[in-house]
Amino acid sequence: MNTNIKLAWRNLWRNRRRTFIAISSIVFSVLLASWMRSMQEGSYDSMIENSVKFYSGYLQVQDTAFWNERTLDNSFSASNELKESISQIPDVTLVVNRIESFALAANHLKSKPAMVMGIEPEAEDQITKISQKVKKGSFLKTGDKGAILGEGLAKYLGLDVGDTLVMISQGYHGISASGLFVIKGLLSHPNQEFNNRMVYLDIEAARDFYSASGLSTSLVVMAHDHYEVKHIKKAIERVLPAGNRVMTWTEMQPDLEQLIESDRGSGKIMLGILYMVIAFGMFSVVLMMVKERSREFGVVHAVGMQKSKLSTIVFFETIFIGLIGCSVGVLISYLFCTYFYFHPIPMSGKMAEAYEQYGMEPFLYFSLKASLFYSQMILVFLLSVFISVFPMYNIQRLKITKAMRN
Amino acid sequence: MKIIEIKNLHKIYNSDSVAVHAVNGIDVSFEEGEFTAIVGPSGSGKTTLLNIIGGLDDATEGSVEIEGIKINELSARKLTDFRMKNIGFVFQAYNLIPVLTAKENVEFIMHLQGRNKADREARTSELLKAVGLGEMMDRRPSKLSGGQQQRVAVARALASKPKFVLADEPTANLDSHSTENLLDIMEQLNKEEKITFIFSTHDQRVVNKARRVITIEDGKIISDISK
Repeated sequence: MNTNIKLAWRNLWRNRRRTFIAISSIVFSVLLASWMRSMQEGSYDSMIENSVKFYSGYLQVQDTAFWNERTLDNSFSASNELKESISQIPDVTLVVNRIESFALAANHLKSKPAMVMGIEPEAEDQITKISQKVKKGSFLKTGDKGAILGEGLAKYLGLDVGDTLVMISQGYHGISASGLFVIKGLLSHPNQEFNNRMVYLDIEAARDFYSASGLSTSLVVMAHDHYEVKHIKKAIERVLPAGNRVMTWTEMQPDLEQLIESDRGSGKIMLGILYMVIAFGMFSVVLMMVKERSREFGVVHAVGMQKSKLSTIVFFETIFIGLIGCSVGVLISYLFCTYFYFHPIPMSGKMAEAYEQYGMEPFLYFSLKASLFYSQMILVFLLSVFISVFPMYNIQRLKITKAMRN
Repeated sequence: MKIIEIKNLHKIYNSDSVAVHAVNGIDVSFEEGEFTAIVGPSGSGKTTLLNIIGGLDDATEGSVEIEGIKINELSARKLTDFRMKNIGFVFQAYNLIPVLTAKENVEFIMHLQGRNKADREARTSELLKAVGLGEMMDRRPSKLSGGQQQRVAVARALASKPKFVLADEPTANLDSHSTENLLDIMEQLNKEEKITFIFSTHDQRVVNKARRVITIEDGKIISDISK
């Protein structure tokens, strides 16, 4: 075996230029494939992160009936013990209470249906960065009695910072709810629906308004990233009292997951085409290698080397090319993608505007998920193993006299 | 003692539907320790005959028996093994493995035979010294002259201690000094180690050294002279 490996290794370097071209083609292929996948997955990560930070969070704990019937009557008592035990789960970064309902927002002349969200201001700001959207006035603080309005709603009602907002609604279990709230700030939300209908209150003010003391409609759970969601969900389910459920972002936003999956599918088709190009490149090099050396193959077989041993040597050569190409390719790809991970590509023009409109940052992000890199490495390596079948087949069909006439 | 016996050997090539009778009913035998030259014009069938004797090509008809073993009846795997153990080859174009040094080229067949390192090294050193390349063992073929490469090829052919060596135009690419030198070495090995040498050649210097000269024309032996 040692002799086979030694011969294969030396054969590799007898035509350095050819080997360099073969290895380079693999390196660039791995680089291109990794870069493509990294950008794809980075964009998905960014899309998911933007989306969950926009509203839903990675997970939500709710009353089992709330998702289908979003009324205050389906709120639940999120005890400090529950919140604490969820916070203790590894990879959970934040647990925040919300109470959501509707109300009729009015001034002395007009009214409009509004979405009311009672939040824990400081914690909520860590999720949605809502304070950065406040364009006038200031953001809420814990214990505030005032309200933050979407600019669209404020404009419709002709209200400004310092004015009083009137809200009428139905509270917990049918209790009538009415209240006056001084407008603390106006925010410009990238989502027009939110901009035209949103009213933010401190959670305690909202609970008072809806007579829903100690109740929440959801407990939003944040993690470092979406890869941790599955195990967090399982852990939450273990501590959850009866009557509650935990939903992941994929359950709350199935359309986003479908969008990503379909895009991932088309990306895989592109990758398939790329792999075919790689395979043909490698095949042509191997073909050259075999044709160039058919005389030598004839000689070594003539002097007594079995075809199986000869095949093994050529197999090792192809494997070496694949291994070197893949290893160097993965190393360069990782360095390359690391640069883009820390320096995402900024978008411009209409594309950037569209991204911003949906509350997403107009950048092309990259992922450094290890599996992206080693999967390319494994695939290209398997490709080289597959291609090595050709020279082995050629050797099995070798005719000494014909080979030596070449 | 007879080591090779050829009976009614025919080789027909079908090129472009015209049958070419490269070997046409040859009957010949070779004794142990012979130093034989097969001569004849180009296309007379010398190389084809040598290839069939060496198991590198199939005969269309007839048999080649080496020490009682009909090599044309062996399986491909057994035939390869047989060649490795019993036959040494010297080719016109040297055909050394370019990535191996002179020493490694000679050791190569012994590796295939699974001989131990000490045995291999001793035999390699002995052979390379015998062909006058004791000082150039670690050079690769590209760093050796044509004559030196052919001497390495002779050493390689003898490494497995074969029963006989088939040399196809071994001096065709050599200058006269290298040819003389190579022939002296082979003659010496023939005498000292009793190795049978069979050459196909055009070279009069090889013919002069040979103790038996077989002349072939149109695939037939037209003369067989022992000196």
